[in-house]
Amino acid sequence: MRLNSKNWLTSLPQPSGTLSEVQLRGREFLFSNDLPPKNNESWRLADYEKLNRFLDLPVSNDSFLDSESRNLWPEVASGAFRVVLGPAGECNSEVSLPVGFRRLTNPEIEQMLGKTLDSCSCKDSWSVSLNHALTSELLAFSVSGRNLPPMELISHAKTNELCPTRVLIVLEENAELELLQVVLGSDFSAHSHLVEIHIGQEANLTHGLIGIGNNNSGFMANLAIEQELRSNYLFTSFIQGMAFGRVEPRLVQRDGQANTTIRGLQIAKGSEQLATHSSICFKGPNGTLDQLQKAIANDSSHSIFNGTIDVPRVAQGTNAEQLSRNLLLSSRARIDAKPELKIVADDVRCAHGATVSQLQQEEVFYLRSRGITSNQAAKLLLDGYCQEILEKLPSNAKNWIISDECKLII
Amino acid sequence: MTSRNAVGELVSQPYKYGFVTEIETEKIAKGLNEDVIRLISSKKQEPEFLLNFRLRAFRKWLQMKEPNWAELGYPSIDYQDIVYYAAPKQNQKKSSLDEVDPKLLETFDKLGIPLGEQKRLANVAVDAVFDSVSIATTYKEKLAEDGVVFCSISEAVSEYPELIEKYLGTVVPPGDNFFAALNSAVFSDGSFVYIPKGVECPMELSSYFRINSGDTGQFERTLIIAEEYSSVSYLEGCTAPMFDTNTLHAAVVELVALDEASIKYSTVQNWYSGDEKGVGGIYNFVTKRGLCKGINSKISWSQVETGSAITWKYPSCILQGEGSVGEFYSVALTNHFQKADTGTKMVHVAPNTRSTIVSKGISAGKSSNSYRGLVQMGPKASGARNYSQCDSMLIGDLAAANTYPYIRSQQPAASIEHEASTCRISEDQLFYLQSRGIGFEEAVSMMVSGFCREVFNQLPMEFAAEADKLLSLKLEGSVG
Amino acid sequence: MISKDSEIILEIKNLQARVEDQSILQGVNLTIRSGEIHALMGRNGSGKSTLAKILAGHPSYTVTGGTVLYCGKDLLDLDPEERSRIGLFLGFQYPIEIPGVNNLEFLRVATNARRQGLNKEELDVFEFEEVVREKLKIVQMDSSFLDRSVNEGFSGGEKKRNEILQMALLEPTVSILDETDSGLDIDALRIVSSGVNQLSNPKTATLLITHYQRLLNEIKPDFVHVMSAGRIIKTGDKELALDLEKTGYDWIDKDAQPKGNDL
Repeated sequence: MRLNSKNWLTSLPQPSGTLSEVQLRGREFLFSNDLPPKNNESWRLADYEKLNRFLDLPVSNDSFLDSESRNLWPEVASGAFRVVLGPAGECNSEVSLPVGFRRLTNPEIEQMLGKTLDSCSCKDSWSVSLNHALTSELLAFSVSGRNLPPMELISHAKTNELCPTRVLIVLEENAELELLQVVLGSDFSAHSHLVEIHIGQEANLTHGLIGIGNNNSGFMANLAIEQELRSNYLFTSFIQGMAFGRVEPRLVQRDGQANTTIRGLQIAKGSEQLATHSSICFKGPNGTLDQLQKAIANDSSHSIFNGTIDVPRVAQGTNAEQLSRNLLLSSRARIDAKPELKIVADDVRCAHGATVSQLQQEEVFYLRSRGITSNQAAKLLLDGYCQEILEKLPSNAKNWIISDECKLII
Repeated sequence: MTSRNAVGELVSQPYKYGFVTEIETEKIAKGLNEDVIRLISSKKQEPEFLLNFRLRAFRKWLQMKEPNWAELGYPSIDYQDIVYYAAPKQNQKKSSLDEVDPKLLETFDKLGIPLGEQKRLANVAVDAVFDSVSIATTYKEKLAEDGVVFCSISEAVSEYPELIEKYLGTVVPPGDNFFAALNSAVFSDGSFVYIPKGVECPMELSSYFRINSGDTGQFERTLIIAEEYSSVSYLEGCTAPMFDTNTLHAAVVELVALDEASIKYSTVQNWYSGDEKGVGGIYNFVTKRGLCKGINSKISWSQVETGSAITWKYPSCILQGEGSVGEFYSVALTNHFQKADTGTKMVHVAPNTRSTIVSKGISAGKSSNSYRGLVQMGPKASGARNYSQCDSMLIGDLAAANTYPYIRSQQPAASIEHEASTCRISEDQLFYLQSRGIGFEEAVSMMVSGFCREVFNQLPMEFAAEADKLLSLKLEGSVG
Repeated sequence: MISKDSEIILEIKNLQARVEDQSILQGVNLTIRSGEIHALMGRNGSGKSTLAKILAGHPSYTVTGGTVLYCGKDLLDLDPEERSRIGLFLGFQYPIEIPGVNNLEFLRVATNARRQGLNKEELDVFEFEEVVREKLKIVQMDSSFLDRSVNEGFSGGEKKRNEILQMALLEPTVSILDETDSGLDIDALRIVSSGVNQLSNPKTATLLITHYQRLLNEIKPDFVHVMSAGRIIKTGDKELALDLEKTGYDWIDKDAQPKGNDL
């Protein structure tokens, strides 16, 4: 496999900055592990050719995004503030943050970094190691209090670059935040993104992740989330236009008794491969999960969903529900879904479901019986199908989703 | 005592089929190599093609790795420490039951499968397999009147070699998986069923498998062929004595249904599961697959799995004929340290094929019970439909219930629907039944059998009650 | 209101149909003229709802014989949406929930499709809002229904009122109301029936499918038909519905007994 060549690893920029130690560790991992093994369940279906193409891109260092690309971005939503990550943005140490947000000090970073990855047991996952190997800068901050301005975190990869970014967020006890992450890809660009979020007791986080690519864009995102008692977390993701897209949300309810809501939508067209690999673990009693993952596969694309729910013995009283709903719109496209339940606790309510089909005939008929053509009906239904997820995104997300984006796929 | 503990204790019930029959047995030496395979084949006076089939399978097996993906975690098996052929010493297969060693008849009597003329089950033909050989098949003549062939596979090899050559290994190829390859190399006996065109088999067919020797592997092979417009219902039962070593059972079952034919295959599996500390028991690594070859053909698997230390079994359907139907109904009960990893594969190849999966897992003690399934809609399976439902019931907070359904579709005009849920016996439900005067144990067993009702309804009538009883026996004392 | 000279709106002749392998309609004959209100009664499974769905063009049913003319045109040739555009309306027995599709948007697209059929200008978002607010009064619905997804989370009565709202917006020539009364409490029944009454006029016709007399107390039919085993076996006036209320359907079985000459 291509990665093993020392050339690739040695061609990376020299390790530097706060993350240089982590960078070395990541590179060692890649050196000894090569590409992710095909017999690893979560990589079994991955398109290695696309992954390789993505790894062929040079890692971006301190180039700046041209203003033309920046001009495509919508205005910052009123009342919100924006931080630009990666080479296109301000140097992370210079980012100015509003009241309620505080940059973590170096000793704090030393203490916190990687902790959440550990709790989510994904420290040694391949895509995390890739991010370790690549990223030299870190945005790390804590959040306290309520009624804070909504935050937008943007990163935009330019053509012909592999853009690595990493974020560490600590929500203090009782804090409340609305966070929108937007990842934009250009033709022949790629992203490796890693975010660790620790959500303190009774804190609330509404978290949106929009990944919109442009032709040959690659995107790998790892999320490691740890929730403390009585916290609430709503995560909504929307991925579209990525030739190779892979989102891996991993979440742990540290002591249970927290609420997690996950909404995901991926729209695959052309020859794209989009994958979501989610993993939720309850490490205490009385936690709840409400997860709905949707996917649309058109043309000769491939959509993958893998979702694990782990309910060990300590997690009595868990109430978890996971649904994977998939629309297959072309006979050249393919959908794979695998929801998994692992339960060792008898007083729990867990359910999962998965469906793959085309649009529901009864729904199409209802609309047609009201004079709406089949094409229009399909558009309306697909729109509605997407809307159910998109409306859960933080309110400032609207500006980022081109209004007809969902309709483009038809 | 809280009812949860109570329910937990009701699941432990002594194994009543654990006795050993003292009978002189002819065994070949332990170990496996080409000579052993030639020896088995010559003992059975097999034609050349079958010996070659075995040798090809053996060579494949040598190159294969034992699977470990099911995370079953058993100590590695020493394949040279197993006896691959054991038979009760009789001169030859007897033409009439009177000549069968009375000890063997007594054994099957004790197992509740009387073979003698007077006592045998009405309307069920039985093929009784003891260790590696079939010792008797009842009602053979009566079945022959309709042209139905029901005999041991060894007999079929000599009587109907052309059918064996035509179908053996076509549904489960010798190199399909590690254990199927091993079986193809060393299979000893098993049942053969052939239903001619247009015939509805007049009675239930049943095979009863008994492992008696402790160090002998059981590698039976079953082949059922249903010609056009025919139908058959077949049931297998299994028990084994209690040994504190583990015995390997690696069977292969192949079903072929031609146009408009239907095969119903039911299993009540009660191999010895080891003791309450997890010592001993059968490793039940079985490959079962049906090919719906003809249009509108149907294959239905029903299983009640209560025994074995480890079960690894996925009765599957390849839906190759247009409009064909596959079904899988399963109850798996695990207790103590048992591990069951079972489920099905429904591979929809042709248009308008349909499949239904209903799986009920009950885990008690420190056992682990997994459903693992695959539903696949191929590019040509337009109009195909699948519905799956997998429910787990947990008894006690040390048992594990896992669900791993894979679904894959390459056909927009096909639909897949999977649902899974998990529940326990709720104290409210227990209280409700008890407040109506129903005793605790009875209430639990009512709820467990209610949970499994959908599957029991699929079993042949003669065995549905049996299965229900088996389950409540298994639960007895585990709730208390 | 009825006169022999009234225009024939719907003419069903010897209509036969099946779903999958099961034959459901075995030769239905029914003629509906403008200004008429017909009630179609019968047991569950007699084929009433099937008839309604076939008239609306449901793809699951296959017509195996017979003809249906709508204002002289072959109806069976048309797609479901074309039928709606030329003025045929089916009020569903179980209106389907469509999550994510906004009710207001849906109503507007449907109304404009019908207006296109009537050669009228499309309504823009603002014009439509005005129209819909007027029509909401007919079914006494709150405008908050418009912001929700189509039928999603609606109670049984709300779903039926949403159907009548659509009828009001689409101004159909013939309305087939499939058990619009089922699952309604007495107040909702009054609202729905008064809606239907307000919307009927001498140029339109209505086919009510129902089990119960109580709907027919509110909407007075000119004809009552009884359906059994895929056929209309008896036709009468509103007295027939009252008889049925008293005697039930058992007489059908008696009538179906083999006659002497069959022996």
